[in-house]
Amino acid sequence: MPTIRSAWRRRCGAASVSDAALKAAPPPVRDPLQNAQELLLLSGIPEQVRMDAYRSKATGGCLTFIAYRPAEDCFFQGDDPFFQARQTPGIFWGGISARKKWPELAELDAYCCLLDFHLLSEAPAGELAEYYRYVSEQLQTIPVSPRCLILPQGDHNGGPVYEDFAGDALGLLHDGDTEGLIRAARSMLELSNRELWLSSALRWLLLVAELEPDNRPVLEAVITSLSRLTAPDWHAVEAAPAATPTATAPASETSASEECAAGKARLLRQEESAATSAILAAQREVLSLPDDVAWIAGRIKSAAASLEGCLRGSGALGQLPGLQQAGRSAQALLSAAPLLIWLDAYARAQADPGQEPDDSPVSSPVDGQESAVTQASPATAATAPDGEVKFGRRVEDVYAAAKSIKVDQVKIDRLMNLIGEMVVAKNALPYLAGRAESVFGVPEFSREIKAQYAVINRIAEEMRDSIMQVRMMPVSFVFQRFPRLVRDTSNKLGKEVVLLLEGEETEADKNIIESLGDPLVHIVRNSLDHGIEAPETRLAAGKPSAGTVVIRASQEADRVVIEIRDDGKGIDPAVIKRKAYEKGLIDAERLERITDPEAVNLVFASGFSTAETVSDLSGRGVGMDVVRTAIEKVNGTVQLDSEKGKGTRIRISLPLSMAVTNVMIVESKGQIFGVPMDAVLETVRVPRRAIKTIKKSMATVLRGRIVPLKGLNALLGLAAGQKANDEDELAVLVVNVAGQALGILVDDFHETVDIILKPLTGVLAGLAAYAGSALLGDGSVLMVLNVKEVL
Amino acid sequence: MAIVYKKNSAVFSETAGAEEAEALLEWLDKHPKGKIDLASCTHLHPANLQVLMAAKCSVSVRPADLALAAWIDSALKSI
Repeated sequence: MPTIRSAWRRRCGAASVSDAALKAAPPPVRDPLQNAQELLLLSGIPEQVRMDAYRSKATGGCLTFIAYRPAEDCFFQGDDPFFQARQTPGIFWGGISARKKWPELAELDAYCCLLDFHLLSEAPAGELAEYYRYVSEQLQTIPVSPRCLILPQGDHNGGPVYEDFAGDALGLLHDGDTEGLIRAARSMLELSNRELWLSSALRWLLLVAELEPDNRPVLEAVITSLSRLTAPDWHAVEAAPAATPTATAPASETSASEECAAGKARLLRQEESAATSAILAAQREVLSLPDDVAWIAGRIKSAAASLEGCLRGSGALGQLPGLQQAGRSAQALLSAAPLLIWLDAYARAQADPGQEPDDSPVSSPVDGQESAVTQASPATAATAPDGEVKFGRRVEDVYAAAKSIKVDQVKIDRLMNLIGEMVVAKNALPYLAGRAESVFGVPEFSREIKAQYAVINRIAEEMRDSIMQVRMMPVSFVFQRFPRLVRDTSNKLGKEVVLLLEGEETEADKNIIESLGDPLVHIVRNSLDHGIEAPETRLAAGKPSAGTVVIRASQEADRVVIEIRDDGKGIDPAVIKRKAYEKGLIDAERLERITDPEAVNLVFASGFSTAETVSDLSGRGVGMDVVRTAIEKVNGTVQLDSEKGKGTRIRISLPLSMAVTNVMIVESKGQIFGVPMDAVLETVRVPRRAIKTIKKSMATVLRGRIVPLKGLNALLGLAAGQKANDEDELAVLVVNVAGQALGILVDDFHETVDIILKPLTGVLAGLAAYAGSALLGDGSVLMVLNVKEVL
Repeated sequence: MAIVYKKNSAVFSETAGAEEAEALLEWLDKHPKGKIDLASCTHLHPANLQVLMAAKCSVSVRPADLALAAWIDSALKSI
């Protein structure tokens, strides 16, 4: 029977602080003044702490006492309940106690949590529930009114002399002589031993008199408790109507405390009405069972007793006679009908408070059902107010927007491969169209194939783009490690460095981003170690003592540009030239000719190091060479500008994605080769007579510049000369190699294609002359040249 | 190691993690009169705290971190 079960659950939820109740609504507010056990818990808080808390909350505001009992096996889940407790928002006080007596040390299991944490917090209940949302079932939260903190403690050995004092104090209070009262309490306090219960009570009395001199009921209660040696009875105080003529308290604070109290009362009513309606529903269900059983009399009696208790509990004493009468007639008739009728009437009266239930209502059961439903709905609505904090743990809490899926990279790679094959298959269509025209002689059909190809091409390209989008990652993935790196390194070096990260949201392919990590770390370390000067040097040079390192990412067309800039001492080209010459990286002739910008880029040459000593940060002479290699591996370029004394700027340019390569197809000795379009500067046809031979190498003049020429056949070791066309012109593919133009003589040019470049594997992996291979639409294999290596 | 064991005292520094508890338990078992120095301790995992509580040991130097000191006082007072 689900309804009974749910009713039971709701009853439980209302009666105790259960997990469900915590999640569904702010923690049920029990009468904060009633529970003796809670007073016991509060008495564990040191008096000084309680006094401080009272001082800050006396004029308004709520405190929450939290009993946090972590699960015994929580350490194994990586929890640190102590840390959790220490970080509690608004914490006033916290204490730890053992759950049970500790066993002998030899038998102790250190990893079985037997600690209880008790806390006093001033944070709102919602915030606490949010903070402890993962362990809410291990938590007991008790709202504490500041007054409950007035708990005198100590030795009870008093004397009758205090009774006199209590009498005098009450007299003074009635005369409105608070000053006199404080004086009397002070002198009394001086006379008594600090450890006594009475001294503690007197201290409280003084505190209350100081904070709320006009709050007579509270003062009176404290004084009365003094004479009786018991904790103050706050029920009496609460019952006294309008107990606090808070003339001195600021109006705003008074209203805050009133609001707080009113809020509690409202919550209490909601909780109560939910519980009451649950009990009523359960009793209705019991009474609706068939009457023809032997134990009907017992059932009626128990239902009547439950309802009576419910009425007493909710304070609806006026309804009692009606219920008792209905119960008696039900007993007499051995039928549940009279009680059911009373229930219906009561439910209607609850829904419409203006109407009193009469003893002989004329109503059909259907009406009763409806009214029960209508009564239940506000109660359920009340448990989930609009402002409720949602934790996303229940189905209905799950936020509708912003969904993401975690996917294994292998799956994305497979998609990538498939779309690659799709692109290749699609590229077969133009060949087919060509064949339809040239072999089968049906140009109309060829046109149709081409039209269809355009559609497939568009879709395939969109698909490829969106798959590449999936692989895109923001550069913040690599950038995030720099703040720490810079901080640690600069501390180690004793330098002051400000790191600025810009354009972190710029995206690029995952592989590219990952390949960026190490080179960037190296460059930044170099900047810190060699670039930024020590603070004194900087100040002497008229710069701010803190150096700045800027790492900026941006997108330029289909490339990502990362710029690392520092305002350090820069690179001295003269030093670089000398070092490079000493290490044999450049010859004397080059040393004379090399320009300063070229010289600073020598730091990327392998084996170059300017550092006199090798530190653990840099100076091993492998650094920038490795950086360059790593970046070139993903088709990137790196460039360095530096101005002595002003700073250094390193620019890394990377392709957005390395999945698809645009290559130009060239022909030489009957074979076709691909050349990456990145490297191609232009294609020209040069008349044979315009080619000059200087010593053994060829060159030509192109727009006033001398371009050296090399034959592709010669480069690849093919024993044939380059073919010229009918006008005796040679095809020259002008490529960019390390910033310089170079002409490669080929037999003929073909179209450019987008291909998925597959690196050579296995025994072919050693062929450095080729960057990789790709399948063409007609099924043939295209070898893509690695221009730099071929030369 | 966040706990350094000296001849007759265990010196805590910074954060003592859960994995330290076993060694601490062993040490306290061997040195029931061992002194605990928490001066430079900033946090200790409750597993360690439990061991300290169960061993009823004496804390010779309270943590410099007053908030932590208050917590530890309450814990050791409760036994």
